[in-house]
Amino acid sequence: MSNKEKYEKIFCSSFSLTKIDLKKDVKYNSVPKWDSVGHMSMIAKLEETFKITMEMDDIIDFSSYKTGIKLLKKYKIKI
Amino acid sequence: MKKTLNSIELLDYQPNRYPFLMIDYVTKLKPGYYAEGYKNFTNNEWFFPIHFKGNPNVPGALQLEAMAQMLTVAITTLPGLKGKVTHALQHNVKFKQEIKPGDKLTLKTKVLSWKRGICDGIAHGYVKNTLVCEAEMKITIPEILEKFLPKKKSLKKNV
Repeated sequence: MSNKEKYEKIFCSSFSLTKIDLKKDVKYNSVPKWDSVGHMSMIAKLEETFKITMEMDDIIDFSSYKTGIKLLKKYKIKI
Repeated sequence: MKKTLNSIELLDYQPNRYPFLMIDYVTKLKPGYYAEGYKNFTNNEWFFPIHFKGNPNVPGALQLEAMAQMLTVAITTLPGLKGKVTHALQHNVKFKQEIKPGDKLTLKTKVLSWKRGICDGIAHGYVKNTLVCEAEMKITIPEILEKFLPKKKSLKKNV
């Protein structure tokens, strides 16, 4: 599975979304399941899947699907 | 850190008060790992006359609250968290048997994970060694969790 597929899978499973939804650039609090608990759960899944530990500032800045792709580059994860 | 907390000492780590304090004593404690203890229910409890007349038993919501309060102690006894307020996020609970006046509810809670202000844990409640309630719980210290959430400013940036 490619990094992109893993990333999409985490988003879809965390927030009950489809791949079509992701094309609209989903944002924090823009879908019912991306709330505070959903946010931390999604971050935990990303860390586990890509074997990284995200810095506090990056967790705060991780406010949309597209922003997340940019932030993960910092951890050498190319989506 | 002390390994037990009496009814007065636990008030430093559990912000609930009468009539909503649902734990009496912490008998076993390892901060960040587990907390165990009990709650004694007597006929003097405020809810027995109304829940229910002729068949007094402990409301399920309060059994859940007792389990959550005990789990909270396993977190608020960690360094720097004394006196912090916790909130419930998500619970999955089962009630197996009525708890009556005179029963002692023994509570055993375990922290499964504690990260960035969110605690996942499990709890079991026993009366005379019989399992009467159990729950999977997610609780938070909002003050910590909020520090990790996207701010309005960064959301605007991405609009």
